[in-house]
Formats: sequence, structure tokens, C-alpha cells
Amino acid sequence: MIVLENITKEFNSKSGKVKAVKNVNIHVKKGETHGVIGYSGAGKSTLIRCVNLLEKPTEGKVFINGVETTSLPLPKLRVARNKIGMIFQGFNLLKTATVYDNIAIPLKLLGYKKEEVKIRVEKYLEIVGLTDKHKNYPSQLSGGQKQRVAIARALAQEPEVLLSDEATSALDPETTDSILDLLLKINKELGITILLITHEMNVIQKICDHVYVMENGEVVEQNTAINLFTKPAHLTTKKFLNTISQRNLSSTLISQLNVTGAVTRLTFVGESTGKPLLAEVSKKFNVQPNILTANIIELKNGIVGNIVIHLIGDKDQVQAALTFLEEHGVGTEDLEGQS
Amino acid sequence: MSRFEQFTNQWLPIIGKSVIETFQMVGISLLFAVLIGIPLGILIVLTRPGQALQNKFLYQLSNLIINIVRSIPFIILLFFILPFTKHLVGTTIGVKGVIVPLVIYTAPYIARLMESALLEVENGVIEAYTAMGISTPAIIWHVLLREARPSIVLGLTISTVSLIGATAMAGMVGAGGLGDLAYRFGHLRYEVDVMYATVFILIILVQSIQSIGNRLAARLKKD
Repeated sequence: MIVLENITKEFNSKSGKVKAVKNVNIHVKKGETHGVIGYSGAGKSTLIRCVNLLEKPTEGKVFINGVETTSLPLPKLRVARNKIGMIFQGFNLLKTATVYDNIAIPLKLLGYKKEEVKIRVEKYLEIVGLTDKHKNYPSQLSGGQKQRVAIARALAQEPEVLLSDEATSALDPETTDSILDLLLKINKELGITILLITHEMNVIQKICDHVYVMENGEVVEQNTAINLFTKPAHLTTKKFLNTISQRNLSSTLISQLNVTGAVTRLTFVGESTGKPLLAEVSKKFNVQPNILTANIIELKNGIVGNIVIHLIGDKDQVQAALTFLEEHGVGTEDLEGQS
Repeated sequence: MSRFEQFTNQWLPIIGKSVIETFQMVGISLLFAVLIGIPLGILIVLTRPGQALQNKFLYQLSNLIINIVRSIPFIILLFFILPFTKHLVGTTIGVKGVIVPLVIYTAPYIARLMESALLEVENGVIEAYTAMGISTPAIIWHVLLREARPSIVLGLTISTVSLIGATAMAGMVGAGGLGDLAYRFGHLRYEVDVMYATVFILIILVQSIQSIGNRLAARLKKD
């Protein structure tokens, strides 16, 4: 549905050319939600603006639903843009128009008939849950409500694709959750393909099927959400994972614990979350597992459990225990102490 | 007959005529100045670097013209463009003769006020509409001008008040008006009462225009 092929974007600045996006490839299939995560300045905002050509990529091609939009002349590009909705961190509503008009004006400008406009505005106001606010002005709404209006405005054009540019970054955690629930609902019930950018790992966790980690304009790691949460490879990915769960222990602590046994992170996915494997380990082998930290992360497509244990016992017994766990579908990762 | 009645009997017709002249001059020149100033304001906003129709040459040229005209004091401008006025409307005197310099004086001022009003509109909203595939003319009308309405009204209020000030000098070319009345009778002939009366009317006029402008802007503003 959305294909970005070798996208590069250069800007001319006073100190010469700056590459904001370097050779990025993204492929979002119909009905999926993909997320790009990165720190500010990573180039993710430029990247998402390349999708609807608010920024023209210096190199590379953009395909939306099989049509290459990068080579379209402006009038045809406008038609293509009708099918690409976009929501923003700053909501970008008309301050001087009511909630109703904020959704109706773009439809009127796109040439829809009055009756059709009315039907659509009412339909999408109901979907975002703001039917009773249609006469209010944006200044009378909370941040979350404003974002709902912006979502309704985007949906009212019945797009195939929705782009979200840090849509929840200006909202408090509770409101963020409710907006994410709404996006999830849109994705499931209306089947709209979503590409979002964010710097919040919980956004990825809650609604994304596939994740791209971006740093310095490049995608440094990409994977399905479940694989990324269980087997993060890049340091930046690990840092992001730390923001939603305590994954790291200090190396001093690990060194102290290493004297009596291994410190290991166990990752449980799917089936293995249901089995009392640690109890079995202590029965079968001469080891005593001590749980240091534990958490469970609910992803869009599954559950991932993380336990950091201190396995006290002889080296060969510890090794045998770890092998047993791996055979039962548990991911293991030795945590290194100070060397 | 009381002194007041005597004064009104003697001066009311003259003051009345002056008020009408002032209204004519302000009304007609404001209309033309708006017709030139608002598009000019839109032009310098849209041709700015980074905007929809960015064009360095057009941007700098219109900026230069606005600055040149705005540097010339009205009294000088009035005489400076006499040949142009004559060519355009066939006369250089009376209300008709003063409209041309008043428009030329006010239009660039309105353009500058429009520029600052339009620049207040958040770029994000324009971007959102561009992303929806809406054409630039539609965005100018339904987003840019709509969102800037409160500031545009305030800007036009300021221009109207300054236009009233400029009409005082219109007497130089025999166009009459309140300012001219105060000058000729009040100052040159030392009829102090006439001066007070016209100044009082001007104060009321400016006050009401400003209040109407403020109220209208407040009503258009929704935040």
C-alpha cells in the first residue's frame, strides 16, 4: 500500500548539504500499521512528509497503492493526496471554525455535495466520539478532543492511508492511550493502513505490527513488533525498550552476582508465557533461580514476557538449565558485568 | 438666541458639509486601497522564501515599492504625484483629485498590515490543507484569509484612522473635509469654537471606528 524505495532527502543549509534521510526503504502492506521510532533529529518527520510529498525526496520513489506519486504532476498529485490522510502533533485545525466546519470545509473544497458533506461529518464525528461537540470551537476543546477532530477530518475524506506525525506527542499519557485506542479501532474496523512516526515506545507497543528504528537519517533496525521486543539488536532499539520497562541492571550489580552464578534475561513469547518453566528448572537441575526483575508487555499481536534471573549453581548445571529453557521456546541472553 | 444656537446656525451647514467630504474621501480611498493593499499583502506573503509561490524577484520588488512609497510623507506625496493624478482622473483638485494620492499613501500601509496579519496564521494549518490535496487559491481564501480575519479587521481599523489623519491635508488641494475646516477657520481665521467642534467630531469619529473594529475583531476571534 505504501512503498518507499531508497528515499534520500537532502537540505541545503548554511554549512553545506545535510542529508536528513538516507536511503530508506519502507513497505507497509494494506491494513497494517507500521511505526518509525527515533529521537528528535533522526529524520523521521522529514521521512513521513516525503510520503505525501510535502517534502520532495532528493532521490527515491514513493508508491501509494501501486501508483508512483513522486513523478505525478501537481493536479494529479492533489487527487492522490485526497486518499492520504494526515494527522499532526499540533492538530492544525482552523481556530475560527467550529468542529463541524473543520471537518466540512475541506470536503466542500474537494467538491462534495452539501448532503454528502453532512452525512460524512456526522458519521466520522460519531466514530471519534465527538457528536455533542460539533458546535464548539477548537479553543473550547482539550488536546485529546482536538486530535479527535483532526482524525475525523482526515477520515472524512475516506483515505486508504493515514499518516500520523507524532500525533500523541503533545498529549498526556491517559489521552495518548485513548487516541491510540481510536487509531487501533480505525485500523481494524475501517481497514485503513497506517504509517506513524513517534519517539514514544508505548505507541509502537500498542498499535504497530512492524517497527523501523531510525537514527541519523538511516533505518538502523527493522522488524515485526514482537521480534523487535524480544530480540532487539541495535543499541538505540535497546535504549527505547528501556523506556517502557526496566531492562538493564547496573554492571556493578551484575559483576557482584556473577560470582555465584549467571545473570540472564529470559524472554517469553506466545506459548512459553503459559508454562511454569522456572519451577521445572529448579526441580530438574541443581540450580536456584532468583528473579531480579520481571515484566510483561502487551503488543498489538501478542504478549512478551521479560524476566531477569540470577541462576545460582555450578557452571555446567546452569548451562544445562539454560539449554532446557531454550528448548522450550524461551529466549536467553547473558547480561555482562564489568570486565 | 443663545450662543450655542447662534454657533450651530452659523456653522452647522459648513461642518456638515465637511463631515460628508471626510466620509467621501475616507470611504472611496479606503475601498481602492483595500483592493490594492490586500492582494499586495497576500503577494508578499506567498512569494516569501519557503512559501507556496516563492519568488525572490517578485518578493523583493514588491517589498522595495512598498518601502519607497511608505517613506514619503503624505504632504510631499500629494504634490509629487500631481502629474500622475491629473493623468489618471483628469483633475488634481477637489475630493476627486485627492483620492489618488490617498490610495497610493494607504495601500502599501494596508499591505504591510496584511502581511503581519497573514504571517500570524500557523503554517501547520496550511500544510494540513496542502496534504489533503486542496489547491493553493482555495487555501488562500478558506484558510489564510479566514484565519487572519481578526487581525485583518484590526489592521483595516488602524488604516482607516490613519487615513482620516491624512485627509486633513487634503485641504491643500481644495478637497475640504474636517481637517481642512479646523485649519482654515480654526487656525487661519482664529475661530476657536470651530476648531474645538471639529476636533471633538474627529475624536468621536476615531473612537467609534476603533471600538467597532475592536468589537468586530473580538467577535471573529474564537480563541
